[in-house]
Amino acid sequence: MRRLLHEMNPSMKFLAVTGCILALAFFFNPWTPLLFFSGVVLLQVLFSQTNWKLWSLAMLPFLIGAFGYFWTTLVFGQPGEGPVLWTIGTISITAQQWELAWSLSLRVLAFSSISLLFAFTTKPVHFIQSLMQQWKLSPKLAFSVLISYQFLPVFKTEFEQLQQAHRIRGTGAGSSPLKRLTALRRLLIPMLAGAVRKAERAAFAMEARAFTGEARSHYAEIKIGPKDYVLFCLFSLVLTLSCSAIFWA
Amino acid sequence: MPVRNPILQLDGFSFRFPESVEPTLRDISLAIHEKERVVITGPSGCGKSTLLYVLNRLYPHNCDGEVSGSVRLFGRSAQEYAPGEANRKIATVFQDPDSQFCMPTVEEELAFTLENLQVPREEMPQRIDQILHLTGLGSFRHGVIQTFSGGMKQRIATACALIMEPECLLLDEPLAHLDPLTAKEFVAWLSLLQQETGLAVVAVEHKLELWSSFFDREISLSENGAIQQDQAFTERGAPSLPKRVSAIRQEVLFEAVGISVSKASKALLQNISLPLRSGEVTVIAGPNGSGKSTLLKVLCGILKADKGTISGMRAGFVPQSPEQLFLSKSVEEELAYSGNPSPDTLHYLMKALDLKTIAHAHPFSVSHGQKRRVAIGAMLADGRQVLLLDEPTAGQDQQALAELYRQIESRAQDGCALAVVTHDMNFASSIADTVHLMKDGILSGPHQPEELFSNSALLAEYRLHMPKKGDIYAPAFA
Repeated sequence: MRRLLHEMNPSMKFLAVTGCILALAFFFNPWTPLLFFSGVVLLQVLFSQTNWKLWSLAMLPFLIGAFGYFWTTLVFGQPGEGPVLWTIGTISITAQQWELAWSLSLRVLAFSSISLLFAFTTKPVHFIQSLMQQWKLSPKLAFSVLISYQFLPVFKTEFEQLQQAHRIRGTGAGSSPLKRLTALRRLLIPMLAGAVRKAERAAFAMEARAFTGEARSHYAEIKIGPKDYVLFCLFSLVLTLSCSAIFWA
Repeated sequence: MPVRNPILQLDGFSFRFPESVEPTLRDISLAIHEKERVVITGPSGCGKSTLLYVLNRLYPHNCDGEVSGSVRLFGRSAQEYAPGEANRKIATVFQDPDSQFCMPTVEEELAFTLENLQVPREEMPQRIDQILHLTGLGSFRHGVIQTFSGGMKQRIATACALIMEPECLLLDEPLAHLDPLTAKEFVAWLSLLQQETGLAVVAVEHKLELWSSFFDREISLSENGAIQQDQAFTERGAPSLPKRVSAIRQEVLFEAVGISVSKASKALLQNISLPLRSGEVTVIAGPNGSGKSTLLKVLCGILKADKGTISGMRAGFVPQSPEQLFLSKSVEEELAYSGNPSPDTLHYLMKALDLKTIAHAHPFSVSHGQKRRVAIGAMLADGRQVLLLDEPTAGQDQQALAELYRQIESRAQDGCALAVVTHDMNFASSIADTVHLMKDGILSGPHQPEELFSNSALLAEYRLHMPKKGDIYAPAFA
């Protein structure tokens, strides 16, 4: 049970997540995103093995963003109509404004929770493989994504090495942020040159192993099974329940 | 010798890149036969790698090169093959272990090859098992490729090539990024594989001493891209360099005492002390990952030491790719970048390092040897008379090594102190005044080169090999 979301077909999951996000965009009451957020977290608690510490850390910037929306809507937003709830100094907050502020900030949380659910339960390689098998994504495109994913750690080391080498020439460390920014620009060209060289080598290596971008067989077959439909319905249920808030809230 | 069929055949083949005036390959005629082990040699830039890419049909397809003459692969003209078709029979292993993989694990990477060949899914597990068994990589099946060493990556790349069941294996300087012992282990492993599979092997290589008697035939190209010689291969030692006359002076320019560095509670360097005297050339050797590069970076102040003191002159650092240091648009500006040198010093350095002719060239566009001279010049111009060179010998051909040797020699005569990290024990034995060995972050030494290079047990402990002196101009016929 605790692996269900990890094992869900990535393309189906992606479809469910995108569908939810699109649907939520049309609901402006604060209850729908709140319910949806709780529902998503509940799903993730029940059906996944999430590192919640890491999750909280990833959630933090969104939380700050949500608070920002809340605050700016209250302080700078159109006062709107309706009764004034309370007044702080020169700022008076109306009921309409209060609701709008909650709605905006909770939407941020709803969108980020479902995106994080996807990110935390999906391996990039499986996602790409699934896109290739279920949605006929072109192998050329799919493998360029996969290979760039492999290059990330390589680029990180290269970036560090360049930075270290430039430090001995007296750029970077200890100087003003502006100077550090111009130093970063100097890293750009060698990094790009390195990337082009690496990309060419990788392309050669792939072609030398008979990769042509044509049809191919698949070692890791990624299927859609009954369990994927059940999970898809579960997502839809959470979405429907939270959307129904417009009738009773 | 039994009659062998030619599998790859070039006839009067010439090749010119669209952007260059002169052809890269001129009038090449050769035939590679079944089960043959051939090495292609020649100076840097003579077109060895281009020739290899013609043999596996990556060229002229991918570069719009201008071609004359014919290429026949397995009796068919290369033009008749569909893209990727020829690569099923002719597999290739490349030089850079970091840019030939596209999947995370060994198993998935092997499967990638099979998927390209459209092998039915049911057959795949069996073929993967087979190749893992053949190559002895069974226990690494689920290993993450990016976490492996360079030597391991080259073995995996070879396995990924062999799983196609090719008839010919091409290798493009496969040892360039490996330390000598790892390289020799790779060659021995490859030799067994070749015997078992009966492949033809064609390699581009200039470090022939690492291959001992692996090859049976050598095709050497001349500088202008024509075949110079096509003959039986003879085993040889490394090109010999003269023993340098020491220029040590008594003055200690630089001294590090008790340096320790740890990262994430893992000790990278432990209690290292290293004095460098004026005119002294110190070689630091040891296996990959032993902390040599980290040490150099600490000595020149790029990284901070947790413990220990560094005194004396500031040290300059020349990385394996010297262009990593460059910040300016011309060689002249590069030397003047620090703003310290007087016009006289600058003038002297430009002359001493033979940079006058390229003063206005972009530092990224000059040759590798010139780049290194520019980097050394930039360090000296910044008043760093202690030079730390990280792996300057890696991937260098004979001519480049000779130039490096002269460069180090004249800097030592000028009174600089030099520390050189290298795997090349032949080079080390001719250039070093003092040798330090490094393993697991611990530095041992100073060793006297004469004593050290006759102590094979100590060398083996540090994954180094004895220097094998030989003369390329008089190969020993066994």
